[in-house]
Amino acid sequence: MKEDSSYLIKYTSSGLYCELADAWIDPIKPVKRALITHAHMDHFTFGCDEYISTYETAVIIKERIGKEINIKTYDYEKEFKINGIKISFHPSGHILGSSQIKFILAEEIWLITGDFKRQKDETCKEYEIVKTDYLISESTFGLPIFRWDEPQKTATDISKWVNSSKEKTSILFCYSLGKAQRILNEISKTNFINDIYTHSSIYRMNNCYKKLGIDIIKTKKLEQTKNNSDLNGSLIILPPALNKSSSLKNFKDIQTGFASGWMSIRALRKRSGYDKGFSISDHADWKDILRTIKESKAKNVFFHHGDNEALNKYLKEKSSINVLEFEYKK
Amino acid sequence: MSLKKFSELFIDLDSCNSTNKKIGILQNYFSSNEALENSWTIYLLTGKNNKRFISGRSLKTLFSEIYEYPLWLIDSCYLKVGDSAEVISLLLRNMITGENIKYQDVSLDELLNKSFPKLSILKEDDKKLRVKEIWENIPIENLLVLNKILTGTFRVGVSIGLITKSIAKLINLDEAIISHRLMGDFIPSEESYKLLIDKNINPSELNYKPYPFLLANTFEKKIIDKSINDFQFEWKWDGIRIQLIKRSGKVSIWTRGQDLINKSFPELVEEISSIKDDFVIDGELLVWDFKQNLPLNFSLLQKRINRKAPSRSIQKSLPIICIAYDLLEINGEDQRDSNLEIRRNNLEKNLYSWLNESKEELSNIFKISDLIYPRNWEEVETFKNNSRDNGTEGLVIKNKKSIYTPGRKKGIWWKYKVDPMQLDAVLIYAKGGSGIRAGLYTDYSFALWKDGELIKFASAYSGLNNTEIKELDRWIRQNTIDRFGPVRSVRPEMVFEISFENIQISKRHKSGIAVRFPRITKWRKDKLIKDADTLENAQKLMLNK
Repeated sequence: MKEDSSYLIKYTSSGLYCELADAWIDPIKPVKRALITHAHMDHFTFGCDEYISTYETAVIIKERIGKEINIKTYDYEKEFKINGIKISFHPSGHILGSSQIKFILAEEIWLITGDFKRQKDETCKEYEIVKTDYLISESTFGLPIFRWDEPQKTATDISKWVNSSKEKTSILFCYSLGKAQRILNEISKTNFINDIYTHSSIYRMNNCYKKLGIDIIKTKKLEQTKNNSDLNGSLIILPPALNKSSSLKNFKDIQTGFASGWMSIRALRKRSGYDKGFSISDHADWKDILRTIKESKAKNVFFHHGDNEALNKYLKEKSSINVLEFEYKK
Repeated sequence: MSLKKFSELFIDLDSCNSTNKKIGILQNYFSSNEALENSWTIYLLTGKNNKRFISGRSLKTLFSEIYEYPLWLIDSCYLKVGDSAEVISLLLRNMITGENIKYQDVSLDELLNKSFPKLSILKEDDKKLRVKEIWENIPIENLLVLNKILTGTFRVGVSIGLITKSIAKLINLDEAIISHRLMGDFIPSEESYKLLIDKNINPSELNYKPYPFLLANTFEKKIIDKSINDFQFEWKWDGIRIQLIKRSGKVSIWTRGQDLINKSFPELVEEISSIKDDFVIDGELLVWDFKQNLPLNFSLLQKRINRKAPSRSIQKSLPIICIAYDLLEINGEDQRDSNLEIRRNNLEKNLYSWLNESKEELSNIFKISDLIYPRNWEEVETFKNNSRDNGTEGLVIKNKKSIYTPGRKKGIWWKYKVDPMQLDAVLIYAKGGSGIRAGLYTDYSFALWKDGELIKFASAYSGLNNTEIKELDRWIRQNTIDRFGPVRSVRPEMVFEISFENIQISKRHKSGIAVRFPRITKWRKDKLIKDADTLENAQKLMLNK
């Protein structure tokens, strides 16, 4: 086994780092060169000298932050070189534009999955199986209690939930980028016919998706409606930050729901304070994390993001794969 | 008829927080279901004495053995989920593919009356096969409820009051009647449900059932604007509230939690049987120290309750008394609509005549609750503050003109409890919570100083709000110095004010003391650990009480 210091990818206080390419992956502090896996804001930091991502990710980021940044884009599969390291983006199935990042130095391949999922999602490219020697996998839902239902089932549940309380306004909270568009897409395939309103941040993302060629059903922008009493029976989609906020006071009789993978656990559902939880996630569940490791043919695996104790122990017991842990260097 | 239907009911109720909607859901359910299934539903919803067929631990072990699944992984999942039944239901989805299986719906009666009770007589291997068979023949979405019933942990946010309301609405009958019919033990059967929804009221049907208890509210300052003469004052005893029933010569003792406890107190049953009249008395049960004429500690009373058919020597070493508060029925006549003054007069008249007519033994075990006569509200305060002197925990103040109504209605009875004892203690251990607090460190242990060392003296779970719980959880994770299984030992840094009702010597604890009902009343961020109390201070509290 290699010494930690000789790993191609290391873990630093700014995030994952490829020293030879002098590039950070989704850094959490401003750095010289940042490779961005996807456009969620917890994977983006202002103030880097140079950003590199897929075209879709760049478009969405610029739309979200509302200004120009120095960002270079590459298509999926297209190989580019930094200091002799071959680098390429590959679809990760998380949201539109999201990617895994492959690094090749001589004969050695490293793959960072970024956030990924294996479930069907028509609003982004499907996860691509990439063979690698070293795999750095996310493990947000790294316990076998997580096993996602088919998204169509969740969409049907949401539709039933709205229709069973037509005297109320149903407010569904979910992330405005990715989750909202996926849910809208799934709902469009059910027989849901009620009005759907979206918060401006979601409305904007819908348009952005449309611009990038992803068809999202038409929704009404929430701000256009001053009088909110005639919204009974309709579905309103808001980002979670607005839960318990004063803007909810404009609605008379509401029921609230939250769409997230965490909602598959009753205690978390109860603690979240929403009336109803819908389990749907843009991350891989336990079985898909294991399947992805297997299909990548990696002999060495690191986990980051989330609970990884169980995954580490499980792989050590059940497989011949090396489970490695980053040595944290300040 | 079915587990499926009951499962849907659970999901509907669990995600509904409007009382009216819940009543509607229940009404719909009851009116579209068979009597026998409804009776099991009521049995499960009231959760009075749900039987545990398999413990949570055994359920995990069974799953691990059936599917050759690592037990440690199940335990890791449990830390996140906080409920064995739910963990297993979630994990089963990885085991059961759901394809090519013809699921069968089963009735609650089939499960609770046949399948589950039969498990206990099976040998380990047969039991595994049987449980596997049950799991794999039931739709996946019904497994959570099934496992909850199996482990006796089925609960949902529905009170008996809500069930009472739904049934009362369903058949358009007075709530008080339904509430009374639901008192005591409800044995599920077609008959019991039909009796519950019977529109004809048969007076004898309620014969062995207790009345719904009147519960006291917390003292409200505004009542001191009223004349002291409007109220009756009694001591608040720290025992078990009971209803002592003698009807048609038969005695039954019911607790407020609606357990029948005749078997634990045969001496009381025997003495009461000798009384000539029939009656229902609201009172308190205590273990008594006849030398000092004071109640003994609550834990001794618990000991007595847990002991069915206690020997003579236990009856002697832990003698009990019943203190009578109120007379609810005399020779078949319901007294609850008379006001308190009249009921109290009747209580005194009858009790004294029974005591006069019987042997000495009755007066040793059956006493009246003495009235206290403060002359003004200042004296009420003094009485309250001195209540520990006679082993009580404060006063009960009763409106003389009030009738005996079920539940905690306002303006009738108040409890005025003596201020709790308090100590500032240091957080030293934390353990993961269960149920809704799963995945958070919410079970805390606190220590006091003794010769420069911190000695654990109490554990507490309640008193912090959700924001504080989250904050403390984060702090605990960052300040863990050691781990023993689910328990973390933390850096001694945080001081909390701990309140409790009583303190006494205990040989079982390293600190040598035990406190009753400890809870956190303040996060003393202003205090350093050197400012925390010492064991000596705790001992002083014990001497002064």
